[in-house]
Amino acid sequence: MWALAGVVIVCAATAVLIVTFQSSIFNSTSPAHKPLRTEQEIAGLKKEQLQLAEELIKEFPGSEDSLVVMGNVWNRYGDAAAALKFWQKAVAMNPNRADVYEIMGWLAIKKGQFEDAIVQYQKALAIQPRLPGAHSNLAHALMILGRLDEAMEALEKEIQISPNSSFAYFLLGQAYLQQKEYEKAKENYEAAIKIDPGYENAYYGLATVCAQLGDSDMAKAYSEKFKKLRAEERKDLRGRKLQYDDFVETQKSAALTYIEAGRMYRDDGKLQKAEELLKRAAGLDPENIISFQELASLYQKQGQLSKTLEMHKKISEIVPDNPICHTNIGIFSLQLKQYDGAEQAFRKVIALAPKRPEGYRELARLYLEMGTKLQQARQLAEKAVELEQVAANYFVLSLACYKNGDTANASSAIKRAVDLEPGNPEYLHLYELIQVRN
Amino acid sequence: MRPSVLLLCAFAALCLCHFVALPLCGSIVLTDVTKKTGITFIHTDGSSGQHYIVESVASGLALFDYDGDGDVDIYFLNGAPLKGTKSGKAPKNELYRNEGNWKFTNVTDQAGVGDTGFALGVAAGDYDNDGDQDIYVNNYGPNVLYRNNGDGTFTDVTAQAGVANGNKVGAAVLFFDMDSDGDLDLFVANYLDFTYENHLMRTSKGIPKYAGPMDFPPMSNNLFRNNGDGTFTDVSIESGVGKHKGWGMGGVCADYDNDGDTDVYVANDAYANFLFQNDGTGKFEEVGLITGLAYDLHGDEQGSMGVDCGDYNNDGLLDFYQTSYAQELATLYKNLGNGIFEDVTMATGAGAGMFPYVTWGCGLVDFDNDGDRDIFVVCGHLEDNVELYDTTGETFNRNILLMNTGNGKFVDVSDKSGDGMKPKHRGRGTGFDDLDNDGDVDVVILNSRDAPTILRNDTPHENHWLQVQLRGVKTNRDGVGARVKVTASDLVQIDEVHSGRGYQSHYGTRLHFGLGKRNRVDRIEVRWVGGAIDVYQNIAVDQLVVLTEGTSKTTRR
Repeated sequence: MWALAGVVIVCAATAVLIVTFQSSIFNSTSPAHKPLRTEQEIAGLKKEQLQLAEELIKEFPGSEDSLVVMGNVWNRYGDAAAALKFWQKAVAMNPNRADVYEIMGWLAIKKGQFEDAIVQYQKALAIQPRLPGAHSNLAHALMILGRLDEAMEALEKEIQISPNSSFAYFLLGQAYLQQKEYEKAKENYEAAIKIDPGYENAYYGLATVCAQLGDSDMAKAYSEKFKKLRAEERKDLRGRKLQYDDFVETQKSAALTYIEAGRMYRDDGKLQKAEELLKRAAGLDPENIISFQELASLYQKQGQLSKTLEMHKKISEIVPDNPICHTNIGIFSLQLKQYDGAEQAFRKVIALAPKRPEGYRELARLYLEMGTKLQQARQLAEKAVELEQVAANYFVLSLACYKNGDTANASSAIKRAVDLEPGNPEYLHLYELIQVRN
Repeated sequence: MRPSVLLLCAFAALCLCHFVALPLCGSIVLTDVTKKTGITFIHTDGSSGQHYIVESVASGLALFDYDGDGDVDIYFLNGAPLKGTKSGKAPKNELYRNEGNWKFTNVTDQAGVGDTGFALGVAAGDYDNDGDQDIYVNNYGPNVLYRNNGDGTFTDVTAQAGVANGNKVGAAVLFFDMDSDGDLDLFVANYLDFTYENHLMRTSKGIPKYAGPMDFPPMSNNLFRNNGDGTFTDVSIESGVGKHKGWGMGGVCADYDNDGDTDVYVANDAYANFLFQNDGTGKFEEVGLITGLAYDLHGDEQGSMGVDCGDYNNDGLLDFYQTSYAQELATLYKNLGNGIFEDVTMATGAGAGMFPYVTWGCGLVDFDNDGDRDIFVVCGHLEDNVELYDTTGETFNRNILLMNTGNGKFVDVSDKSGDGMKPKHRGRGTGFDDLDNDGDVDVVILNSRDAPTILRNDTPHENHWLQVQLRGVKTNRDGVGARVKVTASDLVQIDEVHSGRGYQSHYGTRLHFGLGKRNRVDRIEVRWVGGAIDVYQNIAVDQLVVLTEGTSKTTRR
């Protein structure tokens, strides 16, 4: 499980970095005006991580996870050969590590060794045929080698696994474009844009296809759209480049090592050590939400709800527009009987994601638990059901109806909940209660 | 028993060669003859550890016959000490006269072309139509125009010509006749707005490295109209060229749309490439995006470096080949003939082996005279220490040779093409011409902070060839911009005379056509700038022909 986490961490951290960079482009000085960090400081950080990875190898001698962590450290410091050595040891110890084959595939692509990349991705997919993204990456390597038919086959599989992968649709468009099947190329670019309306490369593809089809007006229109999006993207890119600080980036990269190590100790039940490492990660990269998520999870596991809530609040400071973190704040505030805080959090969730049911449902649940604003709770629950017909929403609606004395509607709502999720004991309990009352 | 097995194997190999891999049977052989040439040039980039960005992009070279003796000479550009560099003797550009038999003599001082500026780009062109090629050097700092005096010496006429172009960071230089008035105009590409004051150095994992182009403001390029009296006028603004800012590097002029005037392609570093479409009067519209040349297949801008032009598939249309940064493929743009280009890199294999490398000088050159153009690419990292923070990169690289299989595909033959493909350097500019006049094209490579590499083409002479040199009369003297169409039986090839191409370099004033086994050229058609056409028929192969405008006769050298 934690094997996969490595790759996920990298992706998530990258996403966080991008968000962070984008939000602070214009309020920082250029590195030209900052003193350069010394090579020694960064070397010190590298040494610290290598020592940690060594410690993991000693502490967990039978686990390939520590070898993966060591490989990741070397990779982060640009030593591909050393990274590969440890990753290969890891798969020798446990040949079922699809994630490690996947990262070796990525490294092979970086080195321009496309045949090897294909082999690595195929190994990953043999272990985990539905590994998200792997078919796309495999297809990319195949396309570079001109093996279009195989690439298209891989992309069709990716789309089955990840129907919302705009990248897969885009690559499929590229493959059809090269095969001069322009209508099919167009369909796939359009599908990519439907998923990701800001997908500038897909607009470029559409412009190319339209030009090939002789539709110069549409080609021009798509070119203009592409130009506009690209100009915005370049503005952001320039801002990120100006913002770039090598030492800060090295710290962020080091944080990932501490997160990986913290997870290993947590899984081994050594929670105090895990907490120490995750705190170090948070200190190295105070803007990476993963450290705080892991700490929250750790505290929750130990029943330390106040600390759990504190972590979720820290996450909300980093990503204030993320409704999920406010949902968590509401839930843990509620558990701590901090009703005002919970109400405020759920209202924030509704404001941030008015088309999602979670905020309405949880606020309804809060009112029901408090025994206040019962009519409003019912309206909120109805809204949640209107937005998404899932068992959890029907359950809260049933409860709201029940508390408002409407047992008939409570009964029909709980029946839907039980139908949708027959094994849920909480739903069954309410169902039986309402039946008795009826 | 044993001999018959061997025979069987040999036969099998022969069969395979004949029936399966026929296009590859004639292998290309490039031999490193640098040491025997007597060339002592060592490139310097003026570095002092400060990692000024200009160091990383130097320099180009020029291959041209400066003294008109019929063999091609070499002019190497050099860097200059940058701030903080301790230097005794100032490095300078060096001109080497080809003495024949692979011997070269340094004639820099006697020729008077040893400019000590920080040189980046160069082109040779007869701007005064007096029958010899002049030199324009694009520097970091004021540029230099050397007028060829016709007696083996040059005169610096920059000031009187009015082409110093300020104090910019230069890139490509392109001579071409933008308005068909019979003299060569001058396109001067600029890289970026670097000064010592806005210099910054980056680090990666704590290791110092060069800043990227986007760390500096972009610049527009300059266009100078030849007034016909030895002076030029800066027409950057009125021509339309000056309103587009980019990070210009290599460039090449070509009539991509076959409308009889010369257009300009500028490769931009980490930015959309420019294609300036000429309306025939010297007014330009930038059409990179709509023609498909601005970006690669995916719609991504590349760290474009050098660009060459040629008809790789002999369909009568000029294609472009462009080099790029590491983790990108050098790109082959196929001209579809309707004003649109298609990135066919992946489909043709034209980027094979290049993904990990930074690629610079390039050429679409027929090395084996089989009638189709192969691809030569010079590699070498921009950084001088990349292994310290990324071992997937290499500072020193060998170069790459892709053989055209004749069916629209390329195969990487770098491993099988002689010892000349083995050395690893940080290559930059390159040029291709027949240095020993033996009927095949040789290679000269400028290596950053190092001696150059001179490769003699030792490919077995199994095929015929023809070289064409143009003599303009009403149009510019060297026929720059003229299009030549050579028909030999079923093989029809086109080419144009370029002045400035590849990575900030100059080469190939005389055109070279491989003919395969065809032992007669049926027809040569020359379309001079402005549209006049001369046709020459029934020409013998394996020779250089000099075609003079308006004569429709061949003159043998």
